[in-house]
Amino acid sequence: MVSRRYSPWALRFTTLTIVLIPVAVGINYIGKLFASALKLPLWLDSIGTVLSGMLAGPWIGAISGAVNNIVFGITADPISFWYLVTSIAIGLVVGYLAFTGWINTFGRAVVLGFVVALVAAVVSTPLNVILWEGTTGNVWGDALYTALMAKGWPVWLASFLDELVVDVPDKLATVVISWLIYRALPKRLVGLFSGRNEVESL
Amino acid sequence: MRLSLYVPGNSWVHRLDPLTKLIMAVVAVILVFVLPGYWASAALLAVSLGVLASGGVLRRSVPVFLGVSLIAITFFVVQGLVYPGNQHPALTLGPVTFYQEGLLLGLKLSLRLYNILAATLVLILLTNPSDLVESLVRRGVPSRFGYVVVAVLQMIPNMAATTGTIMDAQRSRGMETEGSLWTRMRAFIPLMGPLVTSSLIATEERALALEVRGFSGNRKPTFLHEEVIPPYAWAVRALYLAALILAIAGRWIG
Repeated sequence: MVSRRYSPWALRFTTLTIVLIPVAVGINYIGKLFASALKLPLWLDSIGTVLSGMLAGPWIGAISGAVNNIVFGITADPISFWYLVTSIAIGLVVGYLAFTGWINTFGRAVVLGFVVALVAAVVSTPLNVILWEGTTGNVWGDALYTALMAKGWPVWLASFLDELVVDVPDKLATVVISWLIYRALPKRLVGLFSGRNEVESL
Repeated sequence: MRLSLYVPGNSWVHRLDPLTKLIMAVVAVILVFVLPGYWASAALLAVSLGVLASGGVLRRSVPVFLGVSLIAITFFVVQGLVYPGNQHPALTLGPVTFYQEGLLLGLKLSLRLYNILAATLVLILLTNPSDLVESLVRRGVPSRFGYVVVAVLQMIPNMAATTGTIMDAQRSRGMETEGSLWTRMRAFIPLMGPLVTSSLIATEERALALEVRGFSGNRKPTFLHEEVIPPYAWAVRALYLAALILAIAGRWIG
């Protein structure tokens, strides 16, 4: 029996989950900071969005994603505002799949990583085509785009693959890292955010 | 360390209320897509740069502009080489040929990029983000959303300050932060883990503290500051909206 409380789409808007949103955005930022401090060839800037989806479901995940891009859009990086939809989609997908059992094992988390990468690429491609005629601004992706276009591939497909080669390693690493952190969290905390905790609630 | 690039000051742009500056940025971004041709785009860019200059932040915007120059260069290179509409060769460098149509498209896209940047920098460099949030909450945006945005602005500098501590602590325990890609990848988890766990544990305490202060109350909150809208703000708003209507009308007819 699945009660309403356990549905992935249940609205988990408690004070605790609202406080989780700014923390998620902060984690996104710190992920990016550590990634550049370690000189990793990845952004790893959506760990917080992914974690908030895993902890509190699709709605909080989506809002964390949206707030992330809004805040950076008005403070530091105006282009990030345009990719708001991508962040929302990542939060929704992770939240939904996390609450339907796709983070139970490592193998499933890897699948989730590929799904997130695919969704991110599908959502970002129209933006890339409309705004920049298909390029992403990432050197490796754009090199592939140039090679494919030179062979006469259609813009949409070349642009999708341009985004996908960049997204697959990044989002896969993001989801796997988030999953490893999620597994290591105290069980009490996990129960508190998801509203599955029988004893304590806020 | 601050997240926001906001530069405090007392120019006429600083004194405008945040909503007017939001209107300026939004209208300018829409105009980027509505205005046809290179000259109109260049004129729009000049206006946005003029606003930045009169706000005294032209120099502060240079690093932002330089930061995206690589993207602008990519536009020229990629489109100049492989834009499907390429017909007339413009210049040949060894084995590669750049085409006129693609280079013009690159110019168009670069103008678009810099226009969007310049338009939004009015908001980023000349508007205090928490003032903007307050002004939106005043106009009906949920105050919880306001809390979330302001909390991010306060939290990120604190979290960023602890990153150095965590890095030193893990290094002193023998963690390698340099070396092969795999070594550096592996270092990511011991760095990220403590920060995530501690900040998630802190959320419980913060939620309790907010609850005690009536966070989930349904009363309408009052504001700490009075909102000041200078009289010329209305003229600025009218000017920008008129420009928008004219441009859309012109596009419709033309």
